[in-house]
Amino acid sequence: MNPILATLLQGIFVLLIAPFASGLVRFCKARLQGRQGASPFLPYYTFATLLKKQMVISSSASWVFRAVPYVVLSTTLSLAFILPLMFVGGKLASASDFLVVAGILMIGSIFLVLGGLDPGSAFGGMGSSREMTIAALVEPIIIMVFAAMSFVGGTFAIDGLVGQPLVFAHPYLLLSVFAFFLVTLAENARYPVDNPATHLELTMVHEAMILEYSGPYLAMLEYASALKMTIFAILLSNFIFPGTVIAASSFGIGALVLAIFFAIAKVLVCMGLLALLESTVVKMRFYRMQEFMSIAFFTAMFGMLIALFASFVKVDIQYHTIFAALSVFFVILIFGRARAQVMLRYYAFSSFCIAGIAFGLSFVVEKSEMKHLWLFALVTILIKTILVPIVIKYAQRKHKELISSPSFLRPATSYFVVVLILGATFYIMKHTPILGMVEFDTLLYASIALIGLGLATMIVHRNIFSQILGLLIMENGLTVFTLVTVKSLPLLIELGVFVIIVASAFILSILGSRIREFYGSSDTEDLRNLTE
Amino acid sequence: MTPIITIITVLAAAAVAIFSNKKKQILLSTTILAIVGGLSVFSMSLPVLFQMSSSWSNSVWLMDNFSALMVSLVAFLYISAAVVSVRYIGHEHEEKIISIGDLKLYFSLFHVFALCMLLTVIANNSLLLWMALEGTTLSSTFLVGLYRKKTSAEAAWKYIIICSTGISLGLLGILLFGYGASIGGVTGGDIFTLTALAQNAHLISIDIIRWAFVFIFVGFGAKLGLVPMHIWLPDAHSNAPSPISGLFSGILLNIALYGIIRFRFITDLSLGSNEWTGHLFLFFGFISIVIPAFMMLVQSNYKRMLAYSSVEHMGIITFALALSPVGAIAAVVHMIGHTFSKSMLFFGAGEILTNYQTTQTSKVQGLLKRAPFTAILFLLGILSIIALPPSVLFVSEYMIFANAFLLHPFLSILIMIALSVISFAMLRSTIGMFFGGNENEQNQKREKWNITHSVMTLELVIIICLTFFLSSPNGVKFIDLIARNIIYISK
Repeated sequence: MNPILATLLQGIFVLLIAPFASGLVRFCKARLQGRQGASPFLPYYTFATLLKKQMVISSSASWVFRAVPYVVLSTTLSLAFILPLMFVGGKLASASDFLVVAGILMIGSIFLVLGGLDPGSAFGGMGSSREMTIAALVEPIIIMVFAAMSFVGGTFAIDGLVGQPLVFAHPYLLLSVFAFFLVTLAENARYPVDNPATHLELTMVHEAMILEYSGPYLAMLEYASALKMTIFAILLSNFIFPGTVIAASSFGIGALVLAIFFAIAKVLVCMGLLALLESTVVKMRFYRMQEFMSIAFFTAMFGMLIALFASFVKVDIQYHTIFAALSVFFVILIFGRARAQVMLRYYAFSSFCIAGIAFGLSFVVEKSEMKHLWLFALVTILIKTILVPIVIKYAQRKHKELISSPSFLRPATSYFVVVLILGATFYIMKHTPILGMVEFDTLLYASIALIGLGLATMIVHRNIFSQILGLLIMENGLTVFTLVTVKSLPLLIELGVFVIIVASAFILSILGSRIREFYGSSDTEDLRNLTE
Repeated sequence: MTPIITIITVLAAAAVAIFSNKKKQILLSTTILAIVGGLSVFSMSLPVLFQMSSSWSNSVWLMDNFSALMVSLVAFLYISAAVVSVRYIGHEHEEKIISIGDLKLYFSLFHVFALCMLLTVIANNSLLLWMALEGTTLSSTFLVGLYRKKTSAEAAWKYIIICSTGISLGLLGILLFGYGASIGGVTGGDIFTLTALAQNAHLISIDIIRWAFVFIFVGFGAKLGLVPMHIWLPDAHSNAPSPISGLFSGILLNIALYGIIRFRFITDLSLGSNEWTGHLFLFFGFISIVIPAFMMLVQSNYKRMLAYSSVEHMGIITFALALSPVGAIAAVVHMIGHTFSKSMLFFGAGEILTNYQTTQTSKVQGLLKRAPFTAILFLLGILSIIALPPSVLFVSEYMIFANAFLLHPFLSILIMIALSVISFAMLRSTIGMFFGGNENEQNQKREKWNITHSVMTLELVIIICLTFFLSSPNGVKFIDLIARNIIYISK
């Protein structure tokens, strides 16, 4: 009795809240753009109005055209009842096998594509062909994401995956969750893949396919799209916070109220964040879609590979290990880049990951040091991720032209140098006796790697800006080394160190801009006036 | 007794330079507050130095004999450089070479720089030592790059990049020392306290301490100017204003060596003997004497020649430290002598620059006629720096070679050859500046005696007095009190 009721109520609730979610995104975007914005409840009235209108159907349309809205709506409706959105363990839980879910999504996509092709209009054909490209690229990512999660969770059913606290116990699944987030954006025709509010046909993907529909059919298709977005949003939040899903067996009035409260909260937060993302990011050119999908696929694949590695080698990978690997990864990315803005951004990400290391370490050490590590993480984010890039950009504001000078080595050779340094670091660490004495081997490796990579940035790239960044990366490596060995320094000393880092970044940037004034370029090979 | 009064005085001097806009105010306050600050330091350090009160230390500050000596030297140079700066920078501002904004920047950074140097030598917390040393680098960058010229910007860039990188590596070494101590059982803040580390040195594991000392040696050695990390030194010391060059060569290099010596003592206590560290010091000291000898033969810039001479003298001190315990005493004597001689030379070079507006040796002619006081004092300075008696550097080099010929005869002969080459190069450049010039330069104004000459004369007198004092048995005992159990382990 209880699971059936839970499933029914979950489905009805999601059906009711979908138009509100779609309207909420539009409302938040309008507010972020400084407009008043239509009320979030407008889509309800829109759908009601559309249902009353008369349909105009092209004479060259076949039965497929009439069937498409029903198929699309029914697939989305079924997903609302099957997937564990508010309750886990409902009546249809066993049907939420991820291959079945992927297949249902595919049926909806295929029929939508056929619906775009059927009337024979040019724009519909264009939208359908684009949608099919995106769908073909997205399919492997969905499989890979769920395969990684199933391998770790031990069950194929999404219901079972949501029921366990997967991401908290296995931090590498954050990569899969990130890939799933990118898939959400692609499947639901959101930025940066598609613009749902465009009126220019050449920029449409999803809108082009439903261009020929009107009246009740249009209402069904738009409602299905809003429903799919709500479902994906709630499912994504459930992966990150599995504690907010209530077990269907404990169904009662209290559980129902709690579930509804959680679902509304998730919708509000997700739609707000989506509106923020859409206001910040630009829509990509269609031919760059494969880059976007490649990033998502490789992230999902890395999640899978680390999951396989962790289970076969029986290594317990924790949050600080993942963050250490990410911080080194971002520094490696700096090597192939020539533009100052991009390099600063990757440095900011790397420093953010170092704050993450401190945060992850706080779970492993005793309670007395926990607060200190949290404070350290917070101050690191404030100073290194936010303040230092601002200081550097401020000091170079007079020279706004892009610093894209060639590096001493081409990008491919730079990456080769990176691999050499990482290998040399590993070899040195294996052969020195310090290795056995330190508790956190990966962190020690990351700190030495960061110091080596910082030195290499200074030497390999003959650009003034790269030398500044190289010094900052070295100091990041020293910070990780402090975390590994001494775990915490007295507060005054840490503040002093942060002041020194900001001051040196400031002084170096001013001096760098002065050198650029005198020499006309930021190439340090030009600094050869004093040679003997 | 804490150094609070000194800190407040020096910060007040910097604040006046930042907030006031009148040149006379800044110059007057600099002189007075520098003298007050220096006297406050002397009141702390001279009693300990002359054994009238005992050495003290707490968790932040350390005042034993060696610290007392170093901080007295820093304070003396601070006062003399402040006095010379007032004359030199004031003169440059009158000649419209620098603007009032640059003058304010110079004096504010000057006091911050001096404060950081003072804090480095009396710090007991190794992280405070590191922060103060990094502070000297950061505050002196814009002192090196004061003039708006291409060469100044380049010199400042090389200075800050190489020294910051070196000092970051030094931080790695300090953290390894702390980690080794914490594994060995030392708890809490003691892992970063120099006195506690020295007491518990036997607990630190040998492998960790070797790595830690190598990092500190290489890192602080870059700041010290050891070959091959010395490439910033000739550029920075020759492009900075002359009082700042005097401070750099005179005392900043000594402070970097002070850091290395403190950690070397801990390392030697842990390893049990000073042989392993001695090898490092021997090798780097040797090449730091030989390489500048070759570079000096081709120098065409007299300030750069003086800078290479600083590299060479730091090499001699490092070589001396490898020959404990007699070498340790000689090293301290050499440090004192080099401070006074090199600062005197750089102040004199500043006067030559004021008269001729060029640093090229070939363009300076007829110095003896045009600026006789500067010429004589400069020549006496050169003679004292190439260790001619009665210079105190002669005493120290005599002690070094008396010991070195026994232990490393081949190396000593090579070093003597290098020293002869250096003396030849310096004398050739200097004497070349004295004579010559055209007759129609007679109607140039003859130079008047100014405060810089007084400072140089004072330093010369100190050098000669120190020679007689330090070559007597009392003098050697005095220096031994400084070096015993702080620089070398007494058996």
